[in-house]
Amino acid sequence: MAEEVRKEESKKRKTATVAASKIGGMVKAAIGGTVRAKEEGKKLAYSFICCSYDEIIRAMDIVPVWTENYAGICGAKRDAQRFLERAESLGFSRSLCTYALCGLGFDQWREELGEMPPDAPWGGQARPDMMLSSGQILCDPRNKWYQAAQQFMPDVPIYDVGLPWPLYEDDIELSEVQDYYIAYIVAELRGLVKFLEEQTGKKMDYDRLSELVDLGEKTWNLIWETYELRRAVPTPMGTGDAMNTMVPMVFMLGTQEGYDFFVDLNRELKEKIAKGEGVIPDEKYRLLWGGGLPSWFALTDFNYFNSKGAVFPVETTYRMIEPIYRLDIPDTNDPIERLAWRWLGYWTYWYDKAKKRPGSEPDVERLIQYIEDYQIDGVVMHEAFSCRTWHLGLIWQLNQLQKIYRPIPVLVLRGGHNKEIEHRELPSLILESDIVDISSYSEVDTRNRIDAFIETLESMKKSKTDTTG
Amino acid sequence: MSDYFAGIDIGSTMTKAVLMEEDVISSVIGPTGPEQRRLANKVMEAVLEKAGLPFSSITYVVATGYGRINVPFADKQITEISCHARGVGHLFPSARTIIDIGGQDSKAIKIQNGRPVDFVMNDKCAAGTGRFIELTADALGVSLDEVGSRALEGTHPAKISSICTVFAVQEVVTRLAEGVPLNDLLAGILESLARRISGMVNRVRVTKDVVITGGGAKNAGLVKALSEKLGCEVLLPPEPLLTGAVGAALLGKDIVQKARKDDSTLTRKERSLSEIGLY
Repeated sequence: MAEEVRKEESKKRKTATVAASKIGGMVKAAIGGTVRAKEEGKKLAYSFICCSYDEIIRAMDIVPVWTENYAGICGAKRDAQRFLERAESLGFSRSLCTYALCGLGFDQWREELGEMPPDAPWGGQARPDMMLSSGQILCDPRNKWYQAAQQFMPDVPIYDVGLPWPLYEDDIELSEVQDYYIAYIVAELRGLVKFLEEQTGKKMDYDRLSELVDLGEKTWNLIWETYELRRAVPTPMGTGDAMNTMVPMVFMLGTQEGYDFFVDLNRELKEKIAKGEGVIPDEKYRLLWGGGLPSWFALTDFNYFNSKGAVFPVETTYRMIEPIYRLDIPDTNDPIERLAWRWLGYWTYWYDKAKKRPGSEPDVERLIQYIEDYQIDGVVMHEAFSCRTWHLGLIWQLNQLQKIYRPIPVLVLRGGHNKEIEHRELPSLILESDIVDISSYSEVDTRNRIDAFIETLESMKKSKTDTTG
Repeated sequence: MSDYFAGIDIGSTMTKAVLMEEDVISSVIGPTGPEQRRLANKVMEAVLEKAGLPFSSITYVVATGYGRINVPFADKQITEISCHARGVGHLFPSARTIIDIGGQDSKAIKIQNGRPVDFVMNDKCAAGTGRFIELTADALGVSLDEVGSRALEGTHPAKISSICTVFAVQEVVTRLAEGVPLNDLLAGILESLARRISGMVNRVRVTKDVVITGGGAKNAGLVKALSEKLGCEVLLPPEPLLTGAVGAALLGKDIVQKARKDDSTLTRKERSLSEIGLY
């Protein structure tokens, strides 16, 4: 028995930072908080992360219910299958976004029972008073999920926010089109404010909104500065932890609690760096998590990488911030306009850099920048079958990266015994599974791929030539 | 005293073992069963017996393949990616791309100087593996050994539109009932498989020379179809099933030589092949 207990314990995920280890409790408290808020008669809104409306709903005292987060929790607790299967039995295709499927299965069950489904993870997801969707320009489930949920909650209204940004074209200057986009986004956000005023029966306090936008911007700068600390060798924090610290980044933006979290994390990372304390004592390989949402039920895979001497000092996933002062936000006292500029600035941040490198693209340029800034030895991506939005294009990015960027000098044999230096691309690994659906995952196969990747990194290291001399 | 190195490759379908001195002196190939730990012992005993050597004479043992953790007497476990790279690099120094078509997975490995520099694997879908041939051949009543040669006789390869193995089995049976000649169906099956494998292989961007290993390399029809899809000639090892085990043995030799050069301690397991239970 003691043996079994020890085995279970050893499977528990380890975080490198104290701050990240607190996230589970914070999320649990937040989910419980939404259930209590409902009982207290507060207005609740089903919400999506990264929709530029965080400060708006906070300023209106609306409690966000982060539906993607709840599906992720169900996945992480390995308790999503019953909700997925329920959605499937309702006629939703298994190939849809599994966040949406899980949420729809849960909602239908809750509505059918008139109470939370039995043993709902962390107390369950509270019934909303409104639903705020936004597909942006990339995610159709974010447009359609809440519409589908209206089948079970026909009395709950939806506001769909359009949040576009211009797609990258290397021969078009952003300045030619950005004003049109800003005007559109501002109109959409003002429409949202009007909708929320109607739903709550109270007017927006724009001074308060300005204060929250100030706080949001301050938080973005602090997160950026904090994450940049991870450049240190050994790195004090990896992507496994970042999959936790994304919570205050994207679920708590515009709150003092969210800001304070990063103050603490910043302090902790500086202390670790001063002591030379890394994620692991002997850091051999530094990897970039180059895209894809994680398998929430298999976050221990990050610990597995660590056990092989590999760390992830940086990731593109859930690094949904850039330093505000670099986004060229014009002076304006209108908080709605500031939100619009922040939105556009974030999504077009890498455009100018990409133009300077033939064959590059903003997403690829971002990978290159991180590879150089964080001294990266290899790239890992995760293809989650049910999420086209984030994952379509990852392989292309990797191919493009390998075409235009070959930073590793190696000695190769050219006929006879002639040795020449050739520059090679970084090794890469593609993991395949899903965000929520555990039936897509095989621990044995995944770890076999990781083992092979580590051996490839080792072999590249052996082949690497010092060209500086 | 001579050094002998053992490589044992426990794949999903077949288990392979080799003993090497300078070259291969003994090899064994047999089906993988459920009791891999017991099988590992048996295979090792068989390959030693063939060479007339006691286990104690083996300097180093490396296990590879998906069942490598079930080889309790191995001194080291190394993935099949590195072992195939080393084995193929030894047999074909000019090789840059390996396509390994196994019973239940397939992979493409880019190599340089016998070392892997990139790889992709398909372990998710049977339609890109030997299992696709096994199941469709079985449904058509054709033995596995005949598939390749009969497919080469097909003049109009049938289009197999199902990309799922289960549905492809239904499709070929229906097409046979419609009167499509058997050899054309077999050619179509191999074309379909080659299409899927080449799609995966292209992710690592094929560089010549290309070597095919694994059970798939023993199927002449598949090799032809793949060669056409990739637009280049492909090379085949003398025994395509053994490259992983050969690579494992060679990597063992590398480890021993390096340890001797560095004058470092070599960690080895006890040379014993006692009876072992499943778990």
